[in-house]
Amino acid sequence: MDIQLKRGLLDVCVLAAIKNEDSYGYKIIKDMKPYIELTESTLYTILKRLENADMLTVRTAEHGGRLRKYYHITETGLKRIEEFKNEWKEIMAIYRFVTKEDDENE
Amino acid sequence: MNKQEFLEKLRKRLSGLPQEDINERLTFYGEMIDDRIEDGLSETEAVEQIGSIDNIAEQVIADTPVTKIAKEKIKTARRLSAGEIVLLVLGSPIWLSLGIALFAVIFSLYISLWAVIISLWAVFVSFAACFIGGIFACVVFIAGGNAVSGIAMLGAGLVCAGLSVFMFYGCKAITKGTLILTKKTAIWIKNCFIGKEIA
Repeated sequence: MDIQLKRGLLDVCVLAAIKNEDSYGYKIIKDMKPYIELTESTLYTILKRLENADMLTVRTAEHGGRLRKYYHITETGLKRIEEFKNEWKEIMAIYRFVTKEDDENE
Repeated sequence: MNKQEFLEKLRKRLSGLPQEDINERLTFYGEMIDDRIEDGLSETEAVEQIGSIDNIAEQVIADTPVTKIAKEKIKTARRLSAGEIVLLVLGSPIWLSLGIALFAVIFSLYISLWAVIISLWAVFVSFAACFIGGIFACVVFIAGGNAVSGIAMLGAGLVCAGLSVFMFYGCKAITKGTLILTKKTAIWIKNCFIGKEIA
């Protein structure tokens, strides 16, 4: 897959993983695993990028006698997901146009 | 390898980066290992799943802007004595101009590399133009009743078309190769800053 495209998709996937409730690193990776494989280093970079873009906030909370970082989605983050959905409506329409002939030939 | 060893090795590999960045990375990987252990994995398995230290270090360095690394290098460099500062100032006409010259030479080499690539692309464009021109000349000659010259022009145009196809793929490969080389060189320069800390 095109690197730029994949990068954009991963950003939105991570936002989606924390959309309904705050989540932490390992859980994000586990939740995304059925759809897209993600390494720790990649996740770190994405989380940093999203934090710098004000799409999520980080808080540290105690868990089982140690500290764990939880990620919380912001308004900007939620807006990004909505934008993504709208963008993909257009892309899906284009996809249908591109594959139209294939379907007709089947 | 257990968690402690893993984090210690990673810390050594990352030394040269700002201390805050290193600590944040280590906390992040530490938490990832702890969460895996909590999930039922043994410590060794958890560390294995995080991946090789080489890969992690390479990605971290690639992600860190070179200015940040250079700044950290300057910050941690030892204090200079008064004598050394005087020598540096007095010697500046020599080392400063040498430094600028060195930089200029490297920079101009890089620019000339791209100039070669641009001229190769220009050759491609001219071949393509010859093809179109050849076809055009062929039509003009044939319309003027000179069929032999027309066919010769058509042949020349087709030869140029064939060459332009070769040129296109050649140019594309060279451009791509140079871009990869540029990226690798950037990582290498960053490693020069960091490598010294480990040695």
